[in-house]
Amino acid sequence: MSSLRQRFPSAWRLVATLLLLVLAVALSFVLSPLDDSKLAGGAAISIVILGLSWLIGWSGQVSLGNAGFMAIGAYVTAIWANHHATSPIVWSLVLSTVIGGLSGLVLALPATRLRGPYLAGMTLAFSFAVTPLALNWRGFTGGSGGLFINFLSTPAWFGGLFSGPDALIRANAQWPADVTLVVAAVAFYFMANLFHSRVGRAMRLVRDNEVAAELSGVNLQRARTLAFVISAAYAGLGGSVMTLLSGSVTPQTYGLTLSILLLTLMVLGGIGTLSGAILGGLIYSYSDNLVSLVNKVSGINPTSTLGANLKGIVFGVLLILTMMLAPRGLVGAGAWLRRAARR
Amino acid sequence: MATDRALSLSVEDVSVHFGGLYALTNVSFDVAVNEIVGLIGPNGAGKTTAFNVICGFLRPQTGVVRFPVLGRENLRPHQLARAGVARTLQGVGLFDRLSVLENVMAGAQSRSGGGLGVGLFGLPASARGERELRQEAAAMLERVGARQYAGALPGAIPYGIAKKVAVARALMARPALLLLDEPASGLDERELGEFADLISTLGESMSVLLVEHNMDFVMPLVHRVVVLDFGEVIAAGTPHDVSHNETVLAAYLGVGE
Repeated sequence: MSSLRQRFPSAWRLVATLLLLVLAVALSFVLSPLDDSKLAGGAAISIVILGLSWLIGWSGQVSLGNAGFMAIGAYVTAIWANHHATSPIVWSLVLSTVIGGLSGLVLALPATRLRGPYLAGMTLAFSFAVTPLALNWRGFTGGSGGLFINFLSTPAWFGGLFSGPDALIRANAQWPADVTLVVAAVAFYFMANLFHSRVGRAMRLVRDNEVAAELSGVNLQRARTLAFVISAAYAGLGGSVMTLLSGSVTPQTYGLTLSILLLTLMVLGGIGTLSGAILGGLIYSYSDNLVSLVNKVSGINPTSTLGANLKGIVFGVLLILTMMLAPRGLVGAGAWLRRAARR
Repeated sequence: MATDRALSLSVEDVSVHFGGLYALTNVSFDVAVNEIVGLIGPNGAGKTTAFNVICGFLRPQTGVVRFPVLGRENLRPHQLARAGVARTLQGVGLFDRLSVLENVMAGAQSRSGGGLGVGLFGLPASARGERELRQEAAAMLERVGARQYAGALPGAIPYGIAKKVAVARALMARPALLLLDEPASGLDERELGEFADLISTLGESMSVLLVEHNMDFVMPLVHRVVVLDFGEVIAAGTPHDVSHNETVLAAYLGVGE
């Protein structure tokens, strides 16, 4: 088994991805439509977390602006869908990914010359710029009202899988969720390949020692730029899926708050790992449940100022606890527990 | 200094100054194919600056760095490995969060067949290339005597081993010219002997230029010595000639000024 894995690693990854996908899709038939849409949202976010994890965990560059790249992908999908209603959704996804990547390239030109807090500051500025830009560029973005698209139409064969009185409702809720799962599986498969490729190693070389990386033949500027482009492309893809899922895009969705949330989810799950990104997505899916649980337990009035900001507080506390107790996130904590149990 | 043999490295009239401070003034020297040359001099003589110019980290204000047998000149740092020039760093300069084996594999980073498309789509060439690199890196670790540390992180291995790993990484580039920045620093007697043997063996198949303070280490090892002082070449020749050169003795011992 392990020798097969070593001999054909990408085929192995493909099989593993397909198995997980089949499992997730099977689960979507069991779960309620509400859970399906929650999980789909988590899957979409996990794509973005994965791209951020690649940038931060592998290339060692920080970004507080990935929600901005998400916004670009989200708007591209909405605008494209409104002008080409009949074009297959795969084109929306590809186009959003490519334009997300290109915007990453534009930001990378100045950003890859900066390090640490200066880089964080620059990407932060980008994050701040996105919402006002979307609000004011009305002809293109629809201003504060945002843009609406038709929900994904469920194909007849998929609808045929359901029976009973609520068949149509369930099929219509589940189709976008399953599409999202497929998109996430493709994104995770490609990233798994990258992690195990020489390009992936180049990123870690740049992260650990720039001088030694150059002497090993890595073009620093190119590697740093590539890391940004791929990260932004993943964010663009995630934004595109968010638009497809919600049927709309509004400027307020993609502000700094989301960028920080992405960062928090990445740290909670575990930086630089595939499973960490999945966990981060799952936490996102059920974050509202978590917050209302805290609400109930603490007895805070949800309509008070404190209650309205509870989500930020809960995530802030979780982030601090993770950094203190399990700096490598849930994935790292899990690995530690396994080792401890074996001893 | 002029030889009839083919040259791996030719530093020609290189001057570097930082503002009004002259770090190197009209420095010229060369390294022939399969020759081991020591670049020595007191602290602040400009040895490291010379290395940084050769590696393209610094652009000289005048002069040129040629790699005649490689047919290249004035290379940028990331172009060196591919062209056939490898360098170790002062200290060890390993990648902290990569295993020893992966550190060595990194030396072959510039080899063809590891592009973005190949990696992203998981094409067979990617896995094959990685597998070959892994085997070659393991063999290279064996060669320098650090095979059993393959899975360890650099922070967890002895300093002497780490220096060998750094050499193994440099060798992965299959260099025609190997630049060693203070290879002997921090090593004990036994390790010094092992390192001298290793470098002698390497000199049979490639050119070696090393910067070093430890004269007991350098003199028996190298074919030729180039002495820098205050950014100028004050002597060059065989270890025997140089160690009897009065200018050199003055520079080192501060006598006869």
